[in-house]
Amino acid sequence: MTVSVKQPETPERRPFASRLGLSARKYGAALGPPVFAVILAMIVGAIVILITRPDKTVDPFTNIINAYSALFTGSYGSLGSISDTLVRVSPLIFASISVAIAFRGGLFNIGAAGQMAVGAMAADMIGLTFTSWPSWILIPTMLLASILAGAIWGGIAGFLKAWRGAHEVVTTIMLNWIAFYGTDFLINSAPFTAPFGVTQTIALPPNAQLPPIAGVYNQIFANGQPVLDTFTYKIDISIFFALIALVVYWFIISRTTFGYEIRVIGQNPKAAKYAGIPTKRNIFLVMAIAGGFAGLAGSTGLMGQPGYNLTATAFSVNPTGFDAIAVALLGQTTAIGILLASLLVGGLRSGSTAMQSLAHVDPNLVLIIEALVLFFVAAEFIPALRRILPRWLRPRFVPTLQAATIDSTVIGVPAKGNGEEQNVVEISDLDKEE
Amino acid sequence: MFFQVLFHALTSSNTWQTALTFAALLVLPALGGVISERSGVVNIAMEGMMLTGAFASVMFTLLFSSLGVNNSLCVILGVLAAILAGGAMALIHGVVSINFKANQIVSGVAINIIALGLTSYLLFVLTPAGQGVPSLPPSLRLPTLTWGPLGNIPWLGEVLFQQNVIFYVAIVILIGVQFLLFRTNIGLRIRAVGEHPQAADTAGVNVRLVRYLCVISSGLLSGLAGAYLALGVAGLFNANMTDGRGFIALAAMIFGKYNPLGTAVACLIFGLGYGLSLPLQDLSSNPNLTYLLQTLPYVFTLIALVGIVGRTTPPAADGIPYEPGGAE
Repeated sequence: MTVSVKQPETPERRPFASRLGLSARKYGAALGPPVFAVILAMIVGAIVILITRPDKTVDPFTNIINAYSALFTGSYGSLGSISDTLVRVSPLIFASISVAIAFRGGLFNIGAAGQMAVGAMAADMIGLTFTSWPSWILIPTMLLASILAGAIWGGIAGFLKAWRGAHEVVTTIMLNWIAFYGTDFLINSAPFTAPFGVTQTIALPPNAQLPPIAGVYNQIFANGQPVLDTFTYKIDISIFFALIALVVYWFIISRTTFGYEIRVIGQNPKAAKYAGIPTKRNIFLVMAIAGGFAGLAGSTGLMGQPGYNLTATAFSVNPTGFDAIAVALLGQTTAIGILLASLLVGGLRSGSTAMQSLAHVDPNLVLIIEALVLFFVAAEFIPALRRILPRWLRPRFVPTLQAATIDSTVIGVPAKGNGEEQNVVEISDLDKEE
Repeated sequence: MFFQVLFHALTSSNTWQTALTFAALLVLPALGGVISERSGVVNIAMEGMMLTGAFASVMFTLLFSSLGVNNSLCVILGVLAAILAGGAMALIHGVVSINFKANQIVSGVAINIIALGLTSYLLFVLTPAGQGVPSLPPSLRLPTLTWGPLGNIPWLGEVLFQQNVIFYVAIVILIGVQFLLFRTNIGLRIRAVGEHPQAADTAGVNVRLVRYLCVISSGLLSGLAGAYLALGVAGLFNANMTDGRGFIALAAMIFGKYNPLGTAVACLIFGLGYGLSLPLQDLSSNPNLTYLLQTLPYVFTLIALVGIVGRTTPPAADGIPYEPGGAE
């Protein structure tokens, strides 16, 4: 139950300092549980190392310290490793927006992985076909193609959900596998496959690649002198696109009628329908938009790194599409939350290689940490811990998982606090009354 | 040409044998999902529970074998360990989603991630030089049963009476779950808890207990499927060896409209798709076409889902943690 605070005036009427304090408390309350969850998960991870002792040459405590310091140096310890981390973060942000926007509409998009695959393939096909185009037109075309391909892939699931009632969890899983095998087919097909019998495509020409930030920096600030080495600093400008995408996501969700409508659909489809919101059209649109973002995740991942080409079966093992579910949930489907969560998850992933080479700890430890963070946030026992705190230390705003408005098969949300259960309706219920 | 090969593949006993093997592999976790969701707890963690089961089955079989235990006892203990490991994962899901009233999707995603992380990590730590485990000798695998003279019936014998022992267990469990859910008092209670927990509570059903038992049984079944995969089908353990099968089981459960028999039909379709993909690979001189052919089961599923199955309505209280008395 929320600690009751009398709130006679709205935040707008308060003096600036007070408003600042209010928002500090608000964001502190939202950030607190995830931060505690990370710390707690790291402690459990340390216990795992303590018990299993992966490196027998040092004592377990040194091993823990080595592992975590390697995890940090490998992810955010130097400019080079930060750049490597961002290479992972950038597609993760796009894919997480895809999952998150579907969650907001009460839909569970497990299909980000497949939408990424078709997006990357579409971009690759354009890039390898129109090699002579200048990059200022080729790159936008490739990005648009990936958005379109992803949107079609997501849109199919949305269409089937809205008009045929086919559950999106099933359809997106099916579409994933169709996408994986379909792209494998294209990757091995005549115009795109590399000539030397390896199951991968030809590398994209330089004019189809997103420029690395280091290269752009050299051009602008150093008159083309190689001040920053593009091999050390691999991150390309797609990270800026990802940040723009986050702003776009925030804008769609909280500043447009469409965003309002999909939030209503996500929370109560029946109410949405009675309010005259075109439920079916919006379900289709939200899945198409989700697919578009995931398509961008695929194409920017492909176009960012020089010499990177698509290999067969690469997508079915690429964890980004599934990590995105964790990131979207961890970030509570808010734009800022997704940014922070993908920096965390991307950092863990990227630092894990250093952890293996420097401290001889298996990189899969970071998966355990990631899962524990999710558990600790989901189980909300940090709010339970809150009750132990002295009253003046308690955050006034009880953070809730906004992601928790997924439809009833997948999830229904208890209306916490008032004890009444929310009336969760399946989309399919709506049609029965017609 | 195509139809000739397809016809040949469809009538070959090999195809159907593989199809049934994979259908049994999918139906166990899918039935677990059915039980769990019928009681009102969303379970998308069959993948993780299966993987944990697969890992535990191989590791414990090898452990007991190295202790000098008799081979068949090793396998039995390995399967038991797998079932318990899957159950333990499910217990975590239960505690987090029933007691802590967490978002069950989040908990399920977390279970899947932690299962992948933990099994891969432990595989690295527990095996010498992190090499992983070798392929198991036939004596340490789940045996294939041949039903005496029945196994010699030309086509049917190969398909139905020369299957792995777990296949028959799966059939028994399938019939058992169908009977349990729709013909017994317990099943009525499970469904009541999933449809209207307040009413069930008023009628004296212990909502939490029923949900706990259902979630745990979904873990036990998924763990058994893991053992079947590792000790029966593959004979080894690899990191992430379930490779999305738990998600296919999830799809089969929804496809089958949360009904054990419907789910089994869905699993059979997926199994048949897999069984067909192998002979169809010889279809053309262009090996690349196999990739396209492998999409066929999924395309057919989509078509079937849209054309025949249509809407799926989950249990009314699925995913909603129960608040006794409607007050905090």
